[in-house]
Amino acid sequence: MLLNRDDWYETSRDLDWTLSYVDRDAAFPPSWTGAQGIPEDSWQSWEEPFRVSYRDYVRIQREKESGVKAVSNAMSRAGVYDKLAPGHVASSQLHMGGICMVEYMAVTMQSRFCRFAPSPKWRNLGVFGMLDETRHTQLALRFSHDLLPRDPRFDWAHKAFHTNEWAILAVKSLFDEVMLSANCVEATLATNLTLEHGFTNLQFVALAADAMAAGDINWSNLLSSIQTDEARHAQQGFPTLQVLMEHDPERAQRVVDVAFWRGTRLFQYLTGPAMDYYTPLDQRKMSFKEFMLEWIVNQHERILEDYGLKKPWYWDQYMIALENGHHAAHIGMWFWRPTLFWKPSAGVSKAEREWLNEKYPTWEENWGCMWDEIIANVNSGHLELTLPETLPALCSVTQLPIGSAMSRNELRPATSVYQGRLYHFDSEISKWCFDIEPERYAGHMTVIDRFLAGQIQPMNLAGGLEWMGLTPDVMGDDAYEYRWAAEYAGHADEEG
Amino acid sequence: MAPFPVYGRFVGDFVPHLVAVDTDDSMDIVAEKVAVHSVGRRLPRPPTAKGYDVYLDGRLIPAGTTLAELGLQPLQWLDVKFRD
Repeated sequence: MLLNRDDWYETSRDLDWTLSYVDRDAAFPPSWTGAQGIPEDSWQSWEEPFRVSYRDYVRIQREKESGVKAVSNAMSRAGVYDKLAPGHVASSQLHMGGICMVEYMAVTMQSRFCRFAPSPKWRNLGVFGMLDETRHTQLALRFSHDLLPRDPRFDWAHKAFHTNEWAILAVKSLFDEVMLSANCVEATLATNLTLEHGFTNLQFVALAADAMAAGDINWSNLLSSIQTDEARHAQQGFPTLQVLMEHDPERAQRVVDVAFWRGTRLFQYLTGPAMDYYTPLDQRKMSFKEFMLEWIVNQHERILEDYGLKKPWYWDQYMIALENGHHAAHIGMWFWRPTLFWKPSAGVSKAEREWLNEKYPTWEENWGCMWDEIIANVNSGHLELTLPETLPALCSVTQLPIGSAMSRNELRPATSVYQGRLYHFDSEISKWCFDIEPERYAGHMTVIDRFLAGQIQPMNLAGGLEWMGLTPDVMGDDAYEYRWAAEYAGHADEEG
Repeated sequence: MAPFPVYGRFVGDFVPHLVAVDTDDSMDIVAEKVAVHSVGRRLPRPPTAKGYDVYLDGRLIPAGTTLAELGLQPLQWLDVKFRD
């Protein structure tokens, strides 16, 4: 007679080695586990919040895959992609280029959990996480591959991480830090607990809703299917947090605070513009800020407080960033659009502007006046003045443009000198990240460091675009070919 | 005379830029090189503008001062404003 799962589950998930040839630190080096300072028996209390066997996992995942494939095939036959708004298409291309290979990096992180996590239950769970992330990579690649005949920009799902495109370098920098070069404890707190449990809701719930409203059922379905896995394996972070809060709460707070800020900065670029500017107005479900307030501020942070963590010390600045940062990211990406592999939608028609002002009371004062100058240049035929002639200053922690964390009203130098070199940051928060671990960040070259080191030749914008791998067939331009500006054309005459 | 990189922020714009200046440049020239990336692109030029001033750590630098005289580090942050 076959045993029921409950009869063998405890044994199967808690199968550990009894080491006899090497001591424990040799088999599980603390620099890999991250368990230094935590008594070995503390990991006995590590309990995953859900129960899954390999047999159950395979059955459920197979059903999910069949569902995604069936929808994908049906949508492909119906020619849905050809009817999508250009702004929405930009969102999906940004997602595919920015996220697909992050999923693959997560396979490596989970496989490291399988080998080096300090608890056998966690090592067991890492197997499912690893398989999840393999599936997510393959889903994104398949989706993008199917759309390649429609637009070569979908090639960037695979290609982006093999280029020097500046935004991708920033994404890589973050995930190299939190997934590939962090020990298991810090990787799970930064990735599973903070980025997955917190921020992937933005990408996989909020964007999925917008995609569904936009008629992109295929992408929406893919995002939702991925989120069912994320919601499960993100749970790996909580039992680890519980153990760390008992033995080293200061470290837990520091790791989560750094990851929370870096996650915020990344999603200001990945999701903020897509939700508030690229998604057509009548298809928007919530603003980026509303979603962040509900899912990150109210839900995620409340859960962390239940575990004894405090709000990050920079909470007041975080709220200013929430109001402004993604607007800065958006106007910057639109202005430097030749450096993108998607076509950004400006999203500032009069009706869209009214929506922005309703959702963000300071939008007009902080951002509208700059868009007015851009609009005037578009309408007077001076497109060259809406394009960059140099690079923006970059942060030595996030690798993102300085000035894009908050608004111009908060913009001031944030610098540190380390080993005789001057480093700039996008905020006092990023400066704090650097100052507590300068050796971690000091060797990372921003695009500007590489430019000044002579790695980019010729040393001009054209040389930079070539270095980034941006070819004319994918290079960014306005998604609507500037048609949105026409309604402003008579504005100056009327006022005059 | 040598090329020198600074981070120039035109006050009112949302982003500082990498600006290639020269150690022999006076502050008037430095200001022009910073302003060209912001004024008329994202910031309107006031009709009564009388040129620009350069500030280092909040301190106004006399217009005739050359960059070399300031003894800056590469990528030092300079602020530029419309002259009052």
